[in-house]
Amino acid sequence: MPETRLRKLFNPWKSDSAKESPWQPTELRPRSSRPIRLSYLPICAAILIAVAIVGLLVLPAGASPQDALQDAANPDYRPFPFVGSRVAIWVIAQLHLMFAAFVLAVPMFALILEIIGFVTKEKRYDDLAYEFTKLLSVSFSFTATLGAMLTFMLFILYPRVATYMVSIFSWTFFPYVFLFFLEAVFMYSYYYGWGKFSPKVHLALGVGLNIVGTAIMFIADAWLTFMNTPSGISETGALVSLPDAINNFIWMPINIHRLIANMAFGGSIAAAYGAYKFLGAKTEAEKAHYDWMGYIGNFIAISALLPLPFAGYYLGKEIYAYSQSLGITLMGGTFSWLFIIQAILIGNLFLAANYYLWVSMERIEGAERFRRFIKYLLASVTITFIVWATPHSLVATVEEARQMGGAHHPMLGVLGVMSAKNTAVNVMILTTYISFLLYRRGNKEAIVPWAKTGNRIQFFIFAATILFVIFLGVYGYFVEARVRIALSVPQVLAVLSAMISVTVIDIFMFKNARKTGEIKWGQMPDRAQYALFFIALTFAWTMGLMGYVRAGMRQHWHVFGVLQDTSPDAFTPTLGFAANVISVTVLIFFLFIAIVFWLSGLSGKKPWEPKVVDERQSAESVGAKGNLETRE
Amino acid sequence: MKSSLKIFAFVIAVLTFYSYVGNSVPQKITYPPETADLSQDMTPDELAIAGADIVAGKGTCLGCHTVGSQDSGLRFPDLGGIATRASTQISGMSALDYLAQSLYEPDDFIVEGFLAGMPAINRPPIGLMDDEIKAVIAYLQSLGGTPTVTLGTDLGYVTEVSATVPAGGAALGAGLDGPGVFQAYLCNTCHSIDLPDRLVGPSLYDVGSRLSNAEIYEAVMDPDAVLADGFPGGVMPTTLNALGFYQKVSPEELRSLVNYLSEQQGN
Repeated sequence: MPETRLRKLFNPWKSDSAKESPWQPTELRPRSSRPIRLSYLPICAAILIAVAIVGLLVLPAGASPQDALQDAANPDYRPFPFVGSRVAIWVIAQLHLMFAAFVLAVPMFALILEIIGFVTKEKRYDDLAYEFTKLLSVSFSFTATLGAMLTFMLFILYPRVATYMVSIFSWTFFPYVFLFFLEAVFMYSYYYGWGKFSPKVHLALGVGLNIVGTAIMFIADAWLTFMNTPSGISETGALVSLPDAINNFIWMPINIHRLIANMAFGGSIAAAYGAYKFLGAKTEAEKAHYDWMGYIGNFIAISALLPLPFAGYYLGKEIYAYSQSLGITLMGGTFSWLFIIQAILIGNLFLAANYYLWVSMERIEGAERFRRFIKYLLASVTITFIVWATPHSLVATVEEARQMGGAHHPMLGVLGVMSAKNTAVNVMILTTYISFLLYRRGNKEAIVPWAKTGNRIQFFIFAATILFVIFLGVYGYFVEARVRIALSVPQVLAVLSAMISVTVIDIFMFKNARKTGEIKWGQMPDRAQYALFFIALTFAWTMGLMGYVRAGMRQHWHVFGVLQDTSPDAFTPTLGFAANVISVTVLIFFLFIAIVFWLSGLSGKKPWEPKVVDERQSAESVGAKGNLETRE
Repeated sequence: MKSSLKIFAFVIAVLTFYSYVGNSVPQKITYPPETADLSQDMTPDELAIAGADIVAGKGTCLGCHTVGSQDSGLRFPDLGGIATRASTQISGMSALDYLAQSLYEPDDFIVEGFLAGMPAINRPPIGLMDDEIKAVIAYLQSLGGTPTVTLGTDLGYVTEVSATVPAGGAALGAGLDGPGVFQAYLCNTCHSIDLPDRLVGPSLYDVGSRLSNAEIYEAVMDPDAVLADGFPGGVMPTTLNALGFYQKVSPEELRSLVNYLSEQQGN
């Protein structure tokens, strides 16, 4: 009996059966309740309509916020079979977010590629943009389906929360539904209209698609950010100002963070698609094409990854600005170890991204001259990775803790604080940028007369920036907190300035550069493709982890400080439990994505034709089987 | 097909690795805070002890503050010796008034070198009750001084109940203790708790000596999983379902109930 097994699994005392065991909250499921079964709705249009209907029906019933708060005083949670309500809605919400991120990101870089193709007149960019867009239509249906499931489940499993949120945001649902329809129109006209409109009209459709998609995300972001940093409400939780509720403390930081993160995530999935096709390619031409596709996808992913930590700083700053205790819960309290996991994930991303670039240089004639630098770059990434992943306090036995004089290691503990971590991540970003710079120069030689000076200036910029970043990191140990916190800003600005200035110099320096060789697209080892899969998986897992902490930092609040979680799931689970849920969610996502890849690949297949069978052979064959039927 | 299988195996390997990482770090479950058990006859010293628990628990004070730390560059003031400093912070203001105002209106006094950022602890999300704040003050007074506060002390602040009970906050489970849950869900109509008498169900007067907490929990959550000899199945789950027990009971109440039953040792 799975239900019984699960109940035992959640038995708070089951692990050691000791009577003195600490209490652990548990799943509670009314035995009399019928399992809630949600129909899978495969048709996108039906889902869209359903979502719209839910929104419209709920609106008049939403009544006033005061009424909603009155209703909210009643016990109002419903159970979900097997995994419980929280895990069910957690998984669905995360899957919806992942698909939504992909669906919003692909049009962005498809449009950019199309513009590049339009400007350079290189058809391959246009073809690539179209190939990326092919992934969209199926993904859009998945996104809508999961969104509808999330909406239904929220109203069924968490009606109190849903009712309260409707009481605040009811008027945002109209534009949301309208924009959803509009996005469908733009998306399908963008996809099906490829080559059927003038390039400028088609580009305009792409722009429209991106604007509408971004607007949808901004509206949805208002709902979820309100739950963390509620604004525009009275002390009793009633709505005072809808604009303030929307423009809460972390609304814009999340918007920006998601825009960039979506690009990174979408790029990595597109790169994984390239890798998937590369591994199954039968001809050299196919391999070359998909190698290039994987490279472009990865380039987009890593380009977006580099500024992402800075967007994260902005988000963190606003969380602290809203509530110091919320910020400390996030960074220094319950979730402090989560950021060690995050450091491992991001460190892995940077390692894999650098590795892919280094392996990619093998297919560039002339890039051999940069090989000698790789070991230094590897050392830099590894050391910064280790610093970043060093925890502030160590898991130690009582004896070890006594010897250390506490939970902080006398030497390693120094590396576990933000001064060291900020420094490490900035140096890691710069190192990755250098790897990319070397890759970019692989088969080029600058011929401008000031090339040597340009190289020296670039070297000076890198050296000065790294020294400045390290200096600020060390300085942070000797100043009070309010000064130390502010030091991350000049660190970030220095790194951004360095990357921008070096890029500008490089563009001019390598304009009309002499080619020292060709890029042999397709001549990549399989292990490089697995690096792309690894990056996509790690991005997805990181997204799951960050989604967890964004919701988890509210702890026992649905809406922080306003609407308390009084369900049996009000506790915050262990990181191990969260990790398992995230892994399962990512696995489901990739199974879905595999379906998307497969369906997208169907369009490239030859049309089905009935086999033409020779009449005589057919008769013999049929006769041999003793079958009396004959083909007309 | 072969490459698809390899990719699938690779995906599983990577996800397993990340799950392993997630399970390798320290594991901790964080529970919603509980209301402190305070009584009017508590002495200042007893109140200070209760206050220490609130400071470390529901008050979440130690998330930001340290007590007796010698480190430099702290983000928030260390509380070590606060009782001594409180009397000299504002001229003409008593230590008690200073502490009370610092807790109720934290932005009124910002210690030099630190930034504002402390929430009013009588309001959500911390939402300490007035009596709990008195216990916190008694604890703070004990850090370098002698506690004087009792629950009868007038601090000059009275928090409206609505401020500490946010929307829906007092919903599911009204915070009943073990005996309260036992009575509220009519357990006592079928089970004797004081005597070894058999009613509709078996007596629970010695259940704590017969069953572990885990087994008691199992018996509540899945009554028919193991039936006591001579008692029919189906009665208890039907009754509890009819009363909405599984929907209404909160984790704290369930814990209280299990702890209460485990205390029944038959004497």
